[in-house]
Amino acid sequence: MSADLHYEEEEFDGHFNGNTLLRILAQVKPHWKWVAGFMISVGIVSMLDAYFTFLTKRIVDEGIIPGNVDVLGAIALEYGLLFLLLAAMVFVFIYLAGVLGQRVRYELRRKVFDHLQNLSFSYFDKTPVGWIMSRVTSDTERMGELVTWGLLDVTWSVTNMVTALVFMASINWQLALVVLALIPVLFRIAVWFKARILAEYRETRKLNSKITGQYNENITGVRVVKALVRERENLNEFDQLTTNMYKRSFRAAWLSALFLPVVQLISAIAVGAVVVLSGSQVQAGTLTIGGIQAFIGYIAFMMWPVQELARVYAEMQQAIASAERFFSLMDAKPDIVDKPDAIVPETLRGDIVFENVEFYYTTDKPVIRNMNLHIKQGETIALVGPTGGGKSTTVNLVCRFYEPKSGSIKIAGRDYRDYTLQGIQSRIGVVLQTPHLFSGTIRDNLRYGRLDATDTEIEDAAKLAGAHEFISILEKGYEEQVGEGGVLLSTGQKQLISLARAILAQPDIFVMDEATSSVDTLTEALIQKGMETLMRRSTSFIIAHRLSTIRRADRILVIENGAIKEMGSHAELMKAKGHYYDLYTRQFRDERELELERVFATATAASTNGHSAEAEPALRAEPA
Amino acid sequence: MTPLPQTHTYDLRDSISKRPLMGFWKLMTGFRGFYVAAVITLAVSALAQTGASLLVRHFVDEVLPLPNFADFLLGIALGFVLLAIVQGSFSFMSGRLASQTAEGLALRIRNFMFDHIQKLSFTYHDNMKTGELLQRATSDVDAVRRFFSEQAIGVGRISLLFTVNFIALLTLHWQLALISVAVVPVIVLMSFFFFKRISDLYEHMQEQEAVVSTALQENLTGVRVVKAFARQDFERARFEEKNFEHFRRGRKFLIMHSFFWPLTDILCGAQVIGGTYVAARLAIEGSISVGTFLAYVGVIWLIINPIRNLGRLIVDMSSGLVSYNRVLEIIREDRELLTEADHQANTDLRGEVVYNLVNFQYSNGDAVLHDITFTAKPGQRIALLGSTGSGKTSLVGLLPRFYDYTSGKLTIDGVDVRDYSRHFLRQQIGIVEQEPFLFSRTIRENITYSVGRQVSDDEVFAAAKAADAHEFILGFPDGYSTLVGERGVTLSGGQKQRVALARILLKNPRILILDDATSSVDAETEDEIRRALFKLMEGRTTFIIAHKIQTVMHADQILVMDKGRIVQRGTHHELLQEPGIYRRIYDLQSRIEDDLQEELADVG
Repeated sequence: MSADLHYEEEEFDGHFNGNTLLRILAQVKPHWKWVAGFMISVGIVSMLDAYFTFLTKRIVDEGIIPGNVDVLGAIALEYGLLFLLLAAMVFVFIYLAGVLGQRVRYELRRKVFDHLQNLSFSYFDKTPVGWIMSRVTSDTERMGELVTWGLLDVTWSVTNMVTALVFMASINWQLALVVLALIPVLFRIAVWFKARILAEYRETRKLNSKITGQYNENITGVRVVKALVRERENLNEFDQLTTNMYKRSFRAAWLSALFLPVVQLISAIAVGAVVVLSGSQVQAGTLTIGGIQAFIGYIAFMMWPVQELARVYAEMQQAIASAERFFSLMDAKPDIVDKPDAIVPETLRGDIVFENVEFYYTTDKPVIRNMNLHIKQGETIALVGPTGGGKSTTVNLVCRFYEPKSGSIKIAGRDYRDYTLQGIQSRIGVVLQTPHLFSGTIRDNLRYGRLDATDTEIEDAAKLAGAHEFISILEKGYEEQVGEGGVLLSTGQKQLISLARAILAQPDIFVMDEATSSVDTLTEALIQKGMETLMRRSTSFIIAHRLSTIRRADRILVIENGAIKEMGSHAELMKAKGHYYDLYTRQFRDERELELERVFATATAASTNGHSAEAEPALRAEPA
Repeated sequence: MTPLPQTHTYDLRDSISKRPLMGFWKLMTGFRGFYVAAVITLAVSALAQTGASLLVRHFVDEVLPLPNFADFLLGIALGFVLLAIVQGSFSFMSGRLASQTAEGLALRIRNFMFDHIQKLSFTYHDNMKTGELLQRATSDVDAVRRFFSEQAIGVGRISLLFTVNFIALLTLHWQLALISVAVVPVIVLMSFFFFKRISDLYEHMQEQEAVVSTALQENLTGVRVVKAFARQDFERARFEEKNFEHFRRGRKFLIMHSFFWPLTDILCGAQVIGGTYVAARLAIEGSISVGTFLAYVGVIWLIINPIRNLGRLIVDMSSGLVSYNRVLEIIREDRELLTEADHQANTDLRGEVVYNLVNFQYSNGDAVLHDITFTAKPGQRIALLGSTGSGKTSLVGLLPRFYDYTSGKLTIDGVDVRDYSRHFLRQQIGIVEQEPFLFSRTIRENITYSVGRQVSDDEVFAAAKAADAHEFILGFPDGYSTLVGERGVTLSGGQKQRVALARILLKNPRILILDDATSSVDAETEDEIRRALFKLMEGRTTFIIAHKIQTVMHADQILVMDKGRIVQRGTHHELLQEPGIYRRIYDLQSRIEDDLQEELADVG
């Protein structure tokens, strides 16, 4: 997680950027009526807020001082009616801005999800999932808020200040000028404070994720901590972190606590100035008592819009940084796109030919070097070799998850770049080492292979894959939920399901990244059976670990350092006594030793039950 | 600048109380003064704010009518500024004191929780999920912090503002004062009613937010499957459904807001307008002065505005309480006693371990070990062979008192293990695990992790060399300063194992436990690690847990375990002579080689 955070921090600092702002605004263009609606309604609210202070002045000057009860009643009625209007407008703007905010977020997410489906593997290889996640979740939220509540707060503040100034000017323009002079000062101070406070909060957020990290590590490693008697040192280290956190958040809090009083003090100075200046005005009869009160009221109220503006300004920087990250994701171009005249292949049955294929992620590190290969329709190819040697990249190239940087791959006599991506990938079946299931029922997951498959076809596929037995034992059978990522099933079960899913897809090309562990003998046998079904029908590529699979392949490729080191059948390669020979002997020992645990369990069971040791199915008969 | 609160001295378990508010009060030990001061300064600030309205009254009623009123204007102006200074500085002090309380308490709770969690028993950690514990230690603690920084202070603030201003109104005109708060109970009730619903709807929306991000995460982690089956359109449709549901819930949540605010606006407006009208009538009748009317108009909003937020505060408070209870559940758990001991050991252990009819069962009654009896002399190697779940790890886990045995007798150097302190035992015993846990720190810090003192480079290098780790460490660009884990390099299983060995070498324990230490290591490094292990075993009583005969055959005593019992014992040669599991496993392992030769012969 922290690695992802790092990735996020280094890119965008949220400096004001007009283009980005315009791009954000473009997101609400289709909804301009909503925007206009909430801006008008909040404008009315804002004007009414300012007018109410003026109404108080009228109550004093027209009602109380002359002692006119009728006027007072009329004003109160006006006040009441306007308040109802205000409430109605409040309803309108919360509804419009709030719902629009949700709407914008929803649309941004839909767009970005759509876009993500088109991006190529290479993008996902270099971009952490967590990074993408926070673009889609929190950044869309901030953007949605900026174009609704941010815009709304600005409208309210500006209208309020302008209206108040107009009223003040109508009461007494000289005094209004004094107040006008004050606004920039207030604004500067407010912005300064908000920026500082925001910076402190950002710091505390960073500290907070460190604290979570420490907790996480200390909890997952608690046994080691105890065994190594590290409790006191760990607490001391943690204390440094939390003390730092304390200092930072305390600082942020008292800065916030200082902000309002400072603004208030400036307002008070303005009130004082009005009082002093009012002397001559009252004497001259140009200012009434109600007028003085109104001024005091306006000045006291003035700090709210100023504060709001400062807040929006500070938050806007964050929202713009969010938007820049979001747009950087939206602007990422897929590496692999269909040619304009790409055709949908009838079938992918046919030979697969690699011609001088080169591939790299970064130019200085070639992954596949000048690979030439001719695979006949229906052949089963086992790929073996060390981790990182290029086995997975080879099959990813076949699936066109990546395309060769130079050279070409031909399927059924045509460069596969002449076909559509959809056309190729819908004719490929893949079973991965760590099978990925989606939350939903088992049936949902199986149907993923072919969306229009009937229930019978699904069950037939499950039978072929050897998954039917365990599924039918489950309480809800095919309707059983698999949990997020399939957590409710064992790895072996997940593999059987992903195998059945591939069988259902009836692929022309079948790719399997074979798993070694987590599978018991029974499952292993079932998987073998299912694989054979697929291998009979399709051209197959198996990244193989298990010797039985390797031996069964028509051809074995030993891939090391991005090149084919050896190629041939099991017997041929064993005779050659090269890489494959070494690999095979090592694997042989490892594989047999894996059986030990199982043998051990049965052996102890047998001995404690007093049985003789002959009943041992996994073993060959013991030598006498 | 900032006086730091004393955090280590307070034991949070002292704050456990049946009544949550009492618990909070106890928790505030050492901060009560701050908190009370925060409330008092807030009151002063509120008084000053109300005073400004009263100054308006004074100005209008008593200064303006004077013929020479202009002479007093500067004084009045200064009065406003002075009151603002008083109000501002006291509200600043109040805010400062309040955050000091809240942040100080957060610091106290965080540190206590951290320490408490690392001192809870093994059994507790065996049964508790990491995520659950983490959530309580972080987000629940944060909710408690917010309780103190926002809600507790907020409720205090609102009640205080209300009281001060209400008293001010009473002094102006008591009947008017009563009329002016007539709607207040309705506003409080309504805001409470709405906020309950609003926060429910909010949670409803957040639940869907989790669904959306899960869907997204699944799509991203399964991107290979999505592409391999060309299911992009299907995925879009699925995401759309969840995304739209989120929008729908968000809309509901906002519609609730859009009803709440105008409704309270109407109520507040009715209250203010009604009060103002009555006050104006009184002013016309002459029962109050114009100045009083103006003061009234200033004060009435100070009463009404905060009341609207009371409902929200109360609802938030209740969720703060829920979080606090979740935190308390952990705090109530008993810790392991680490330093307490009946036997004060002054010297290192010699390492004579005697199990005499030792039984162990978990507190839920599951028996794990039955009548374990054997003796390990100082420096001997004891091997434990058995399948997963046969009790090997539990048997050695009794030595550092990860678990305490339930009956029989287990002594080290003639003293019952339960009489030693856990700290002492754990310092004397070193464990090398199958998959060693390294911390996200530098390699050097990982190696020196278990020694609570400054260690010279020479010592670290020596340990790393003995563990055969020195060379590969120097191979990294940052050498010993290389960060391990997520933010640094990923070490292979063998490399991790060797760093862990260096860590144990530096710790220099008297008793050594090797828990299947070579099984997750590939063939090439296995030999090197085995060499390092042999070096490590010299002169220490060693327990070796293993699957393979190869690993155990040189042991002084081999114990074959099954279902919590010792079923066979002896040296390699002795065990080979008698029929039993041991010989069968031995035979099997030798046969693998024969099979391989046979297979190779076939091809050749």
